[in-house]
Amino acid sequence: MSGLRSAWRQAILGLLTFCVVTGAHAAPPQRVASANLCTDQLLLMLAAPEQIASISHLALDREGSYMAEQAKGYPINYGTTEELIALEPDLILVSQFNRQKNTEILRHLGYRVEAFATTESIAGIRSNIRQMAKLLEREPEGEALIADMDRRIAEITNDIQGEPLPALFYQPRGYTSGLKTLHDEALKLTGWRNISAEYGVIGYGAIDLETVLQAKPVQLFTSAYAPGTTSLAQQQINHPALKKVTKGKTLINIEYRYWICGGPMIVEAIEKLAKVRRQ
Amino acid sequence: MTQKLDTASRIEMPQGKLIALLSLLLTGLIVTSLFIGSNPIPVLKAISDSLQNNQSVIAIILTEVRLPRALIAALAGATLGMCGAIMQGLLRNPLASPGLVGSSSGAALGAVFVLYFGFSSLFWPALPLGGMLGSLLALLLVYLLAGRDASIVTLILAGVAINSLALAMISLLLNLAPSPYAVREIVLWMLGSVANHSLDHLWIMLPGTLLGWLLVLGSTRSLDALTLGEETAYSMGINVERLRWRLFLAVALAVGSAVSITGAIGFVGLVVPHLLRPLVGYMPGRLISVSALGGAVMLLTADIAVRLFPAGTEIKVGVLTSLVGAPFFLYLILKTRRTQL
Repeated sequence: MSGLRSAWRQAILGLLTFCVVTGAHAAPPQRVASANLCTDQLLLMLAAPEQIASISHLALDREGSYMAEQAKGYPINYGTTEELIALEPDLILVSQFNRQKNTEILRHLGYRVEAFATTESIAGIRSNIRQMAKLLEREPEGEALIADMDRRIAEITNDIQGEPLPALFYQPRGYTSGLKTLHDEALKLTGWRNISAEYGVIGYGAIDLETVLQAKPVQLFTSAYAPGTTSLAQQQINHPALKKVTKGKTLINIEYRYWICGGPMIVEAIEKLAKVRRQ
Repeated sequence: MTQKLDTASRIEMPQGKLIALLSLLLTGLIVTSLFIGSNPIPVLKAISDSLQNNQSVIAIILTEVRLPRALIAALAGATLGMCGAIMQGLLRNPLASPGLVGSSSGAALGAVFVLYFGFSSLFWPALPLGGMLGSLLALLLVYLLAGRDASIVTLILAGVAINSLALAMISLLLNLAPSPYAVREIVLWMLGSVANHSLDHLWIMLPGTLLGWLLVLGSTRSLDALTLGEETAYSMGINVERLRWRLFLAVALAVGSAVSITGAIGFVGLVVPHLLRPLVGYMPGRLISVSALGGAVMLLTADIAVRLFPAGTEIKVGVLTSLVGAPFFLYLILKTRRTQL
């Protein structure tokens, strides 16, 4: 008797779940909450304004966020579970590296949480745009954004000629971007050789000052956070020996907001790198 | 006592010979230091390139990276060794040194304030000046806290208090600093490092350091007299009060400038004078120049060892001096306990 009852209960529960799930998927999400700067920006680029329930506070930071202007006026969150629940979202967007625990709790509570991978390449940017467009059910907008990005990159890079010249991104405390980074791909697309990748750095890692000097870079770039402030780490990238080895060329800052999150803004970084290369 | 003096006179060396020996050792270490880097470079070719004003990469590495590092280590080590000798003589306390009586951490605090809040980028002398002021304030505070004829323990306790206060303030300032990189640099200030410096840094620390050294010269005789007690020194025509201020100022100038570049490197000022004291026949005046050379030798040796140490990232030179110095400090405490209590 009790076995039969529990079987019934299971069946009803299953049916309910099915209804809820299919119901949620029947229409595009109407209340999307993003808890990560990178998903914030893609959301702002692709969603209809009324679909956006909330974006993270970082989206408003001019230095880190390419979409700071467009982000104004939306409710912001600090990524805590309580805040996100209070927003009553029908879709929550996070990064794969974002607070794993939060994501687990939200999923456990029955919220639809979608995680985005961090981007290490332009191919990764395309796939993130597609993922976002699909979730928002705005695939045509996504494809248009990708096509525009690809067209502009091709335009910028097709007239780059000559031997690739040695360069690198040198960050405070002597960090750099090696293989499998957006920096590496952008450098190579614009006629530069990435010294760090050749030295064997994979992803983001440290590179020694003497190694940098010995590779004789023609130009140094940085995408340091918080320019205008001082610390020993930031002093390190302005070591006078670097300026001597580049024959007086100073470090060029290609802003942080183009790189911290993969997105179509990579075009502007590529444009700047190409401009320096043509000179 | 007589036996002790006998052993002392047995290992005592003529001052000239001792200075020549230490200078030779120091020169050797500076040259060795030029050969050590992340990648081997033809050093002799680099020297000839830089002498011919040929801006080759190896010449740049030699003159802009390796040479400043060696010279900064030597200068900072000399300052710490010398100031340790001065303080031990002046306060007649075997445990006194820039690190223990707070002048190093005070200097680090002053430098941190000036550097991270942008004052030194507006006006470069602000950095050593901040270090000097911090150093002097810390030293005076310890001196006032402990009283003029403080026992060894009281002075050390006052030093502990001021060191802790300075550390807390440094950590607070680094947390409040506008730069997002600041917080992680506390280790650099508390342990000290001579890596990643340029010739600019050498020029920043040089004036204050040299001025401090100059102030010390000429007070060696007075320091010797002070070993006989303040009363006797007075009767010999020495203005002890003036001597004290002059030497406090000298320590603040030299330690303040050095620490504002390297951070608070521990124990050099404590260990070096003790190791060399028997060689100069326990004369504090003679100990000063010898300790300066010895300090430079110790810090350069530590910095060379740190660079040869097979770790993924380079350890800070202060880690090594503390690893050597702390056990030595304990040994000194045991020794003073035996003789004084």
